[in-house]
Amino acid sequence: MTQEQTNLLQGTLDLLILKTLRLGEMHGLGISRRIEQITHGTFSVKTGSLFPALRRMQEEGWIKSAWGESEANRKAKYYRLTKAGMKQLETETAKWERIVLGISRTLEAS
Amino acid sequence: MGADRARDLADAGGVVSKRVRSGLLQRATSLLRNVTHREQDEREIAEEVNAHLSLLIAEKMRAGMKPDEAERAAHMELGGVEQVKEQVREARAGAWLDTLARDCRFALRMSRKNSGFTAVVVLILALGIAANTTVLSWISATLLNPIPGVAHTSDLVTVMRGDRSDHPTPPFSYLDLHDLSELTQTFSGLLGYHDDYMSLTGVAKPERIYGALTTANYFDLLGVHPILGRAFLPEEGTPGAGAAVVVIGYAVWQNHFAGDPQIVGKTIQINRHPYTVVGVAPRDFTGCAPGLRAELWIALSMDRDVWGFNRPDYRGIFWLNVLGKLRPGVTKNQAQAELNLLMQGIVERFPEDHRDSPSEISLDPLWRSPFGINGYLYKILPMLLGLAGVLLLLACANVASLLLVRSVGRRREIAIRLGMGASRKQIVRQFLIESLLLGLLGGTAAIVITKWTSHSLVAFFPPSTLPLTNDAHIDQGVLFVTIGVSILAAIIFGMLPALRSSSMPVQSVLKEEATSVSLTLHKSRLLSGLVVAQISLSLVLLVCAGLFTRSLQKAQQSDPGFEASHLLLASYELSPAGYTRATGAAFDRQVLDRLSALPGVESVSLADFSPLSFSIHSDYLQLEGYVPQPHESMEISRAIVGPNYFRTLRTSVVSGREFTEGDTADSQLVAVVNQAFVDRYWPGENAIGKQVTDGGDRFTVVGVARNAKYRLLTSPTEPVIYLPSYQAYSPTHDTTIHLRTTGDPRTMASSVEETIHQLNPELPLFNVNPLSVTMQLGTLFGRVAATFAGSFGLLAMLLAAVGIYGVVAYTTRQRTREIGIRMALGAEKGGVYRLVLGQGFRLTLAGLLVGTALSLTLTRLLKAQLFGVSATDAITFASVGLLVAVVALLACHIPARRATRVDPMVALRHE
Repeated sequence: MTQEQTNLLQGTLDLLILKTLRLGEMHGLGISRRIEQITHGTFSVKTGSLFPALRRMQEEGWIKSAWGESEANRKAKYYRLTKAGMKQLETETAKWERIVLGISRTLEAS
Repeated sequence: MGADRARDLADAGGVVSKRVRSGLLQRATSLLRNVTHREQDEREIAEEVNAHLSLLIAEKMRAGMKPDEAERAAHMELGGVEQVKEQVREARAGAWLDTLARDCRFALRMSRKNSGFTAVVVLILALGIAANTTVLSWISATLLNPIPGVAHTSDLVTVMRGDRSDHPTPPFSYLDLHDLSELTQTFSGLLGYHDDYMSLTGVAKPERIYGALTTANYFDLLGVHPILGRAFLPEEGTPGAGAAVVVIGYAVWQNHFAGDPQIVGKTIQINRHPYTVVGVAPRDFTGCAPGLRAELWIALSMDRDVWGFNRPDYRGIFWLNVLGKLRPGVTKNQAQAELNLLMQGIVERFPEDHRDSPSEISLDPLWRSPFGINGYLYKILPMLLGLAGVLLLLACANVASLLLVRSVGRRREIAIRLGMGASRKQIVRQFLIESLLLGLLGGTAAIVITKWTSHSLVAFFPPSTLPLTNDAHIDQGVLFVTIGVSILAAIIFGMLPALRSSSMPVQSVLKEEATSVSLTLHKSRLLSGLVVAQISLSLVLLVCAGLFTRSLQKAQQSDPGFEASHLLLASYELSPAGYTRATGAAFDRQVLDRLSALPGVESVSLADFSPLSFSIHSDYLQLEGYVPQPHESMEISRAIVGPNYFRTLRTSVVSGREFTEGDTADSQLVAVVNQAFVDRYWPGENAIGKQVTDGGDRFTVVGVARNAKYRLLTSPTEPVIYLPSYQAYSPTHDTTIHLRTTGDPRTMASSVEETIHQLNPELPLFNVNPLSVTMQLGTLFGRVAATFAGSFGLLAMLLAAVGIYGVVAYTTRQRTREIGIRMALGAEKGGVYRLVLGQGFRLTLAGLLVGTALSLTLTRLLKAQLFGVSATDAITFASVGLLVAVVALLACHIPARRATRVDPMVALRHE
């Protein structure tokens, strides 16, 4: 994978995670299953990508985490969006829309 | 990258800066937490991954899998607990810090493991870096900080008149300087000073102290604030109205007045006149003539009291050295143009006072000011720095070749790391960090070495009548540059091995045998290139060293025009002791009578200077029958000498006669000139009988003497006029006894002192030394250049020898098997010897060729500093080439002989 692709995907992953967490707090596995579900399997988030992304977003202050109990009474770490995260979601969304718009215009033009 | 660009697109507004700032803060907090809560964080990561795993298993089991099946599937999906943990760690803020720390720890472990190798490399680097820092410490103490105690000298310029010369005279009279200061728009101030010895009298042991008469603005313009009391007040500098006040140097305050805190306001005696101490100068400050140490400052209005003149009253006496402070934004050239214009106006108003003086004024920044020691040092120090730079380059090449050879031994280690998934970047980083560690260790060792060597410049100063001073030490600037140079060196020598190792083909390295892998290195052009570079650079340094040494030899062997052996010098100064013109001359006469009667004395004379110690004076002369060119300076070296001077110095008088006891104040005023004088001003004419006017007195030339060198052995002979001491007598100059002895001049020192003290027990006698010792000052700069270029050269040769030995020995060891096969197939020992030596020979030859070409281009830059040898001196080139060849081949001889002792059976069984 080249550097560019990673970066692009990383940015996209952030957006997907933020969007998913908008619905409410969720643990790691929940996030990845939810993304698979919404995208009909287009994106399957690997654990090795998910946790570093969560970690990074936590350090940026977009999300917060706390230990809790899962449905099956298992211990799990739950993530939720912060105020900064909401804002970030807005900017990321706007950015994404611009990219999509730009790309589709390019594609239409040629 | 794509995302970044997209973000830039999106954030075209002003939001970006705010977000970046809050983001930065957030990240910084995270970084801090990550660093401080390391263990807790590790636990959290582990717990979360484990929790995730159990959630996964539970999920699989809910989907109907059996427990063990579910666990396997979960592990598959997770993709390795440790990997995930590592990936999270890498995402953590400050992950680079972790990697850096890990790389550093690893580098430290590696260097400890190979402590011998590390020691050698650090030593080589330390020597290479220390050569640079030593020269830098001198440059910093002389050229960059020309006035100790004054931080900013970049807007200060020195003022010189006439052609650039190594020994310029003061440019202005007090009245000229005063007028110029009033008129100038380009200078925020002009200060004037005249420095010479004074005597601190009225204390237990009178002492000669170098001091200066200065204009009142001296301290203020330099920005020097006395640590006690004050500097001069403006009115204290006004001639006729001046006050007897003195600012004393820190050393005088400490040594003579025990650091008395109440010293301000007390009265001290200088040249037997009372002065009130108004201030104590800061410790560092020693006046503003680079390299000369002044320790007393008196307002120049006191000239009559100190030295018995009234020079401030005369417009025609140019006695003040001048420093100007440029106004902000004014260039040196603008100021120069303005001063010339203003001076032209002054000359037009007072033509009589400026008849003999050159009118052209030029300004110099202090680093190359012709006043003081910088005028000489600015030519040789940058050159030495260049040579030190070459030495460091060589050291880098040397270390690079050592590291390359060693990196082969580490190929497996690196291949394994690459195989385990380390990126090329990581390997390069690891190598560079190891190099940086070596570089910084070398730099640290270099600083320790430089602590000693920075003082070595002073060791070249012979006993002298000049108050030479040099306070080279490791200052902050030198320290920073050392660190910078160490890092730069590390990058230079570390880059090659790093890039080379990181680009190895992993598969083949892991599969192949160690020996066959190294065979690729044995053909390595890179390694050969490094050896060739070392040999050629060492040749360059040795050629420079050779040229300097031969110059010095030529200078020392050159005929100075006098015979230095068996001559004892001793100086005294009469005016501080209260002598007048008449009593002084009488005293001198007694001294000559008494000394010539001593047993072991062949002849004795006096002079107001001594040869090759920068002590000869000069005067503006008018010569009969010679019309100066426009702007030609008629300032000519002028020596005042006693009877029998030429006989005592063994400088032959080629026509006419020398001075005798009969040339007294009552007889006709006479002079002797040297041949250079005649050649320059009266070519082809008979000089005897011609008239020379000096300061209103007309002297008739009665003799022509052979040329003698009085300033530097390497400078061309210049015109000199000699005047007899009883006629041109001045008690204000040092009088130096020149005593020709039959035996060792040193043994006469005590009887000379006794004789003088019989005549006057109070009169201090100073600088009692053989001429052969004091005249070392005349070769000072040549000796500095030859010594340092020489040691750089020898060091370079040693390094190059180690370099070629290392590489040839290494490749030979790697070829043990091949040599074994050759010998098993019947190769002669001689053949094997030639095989190995041949490799060394080819490298040496290439190095010699490249080095000679390099030297031929570079030595041209030294031309101006050489004396008696050409920059392409064949003898130097040939002998240095031969030396390098012999040393290099000797270095190769060791591995070659070892190769002939290879036992084919052992060699083949090996591996």
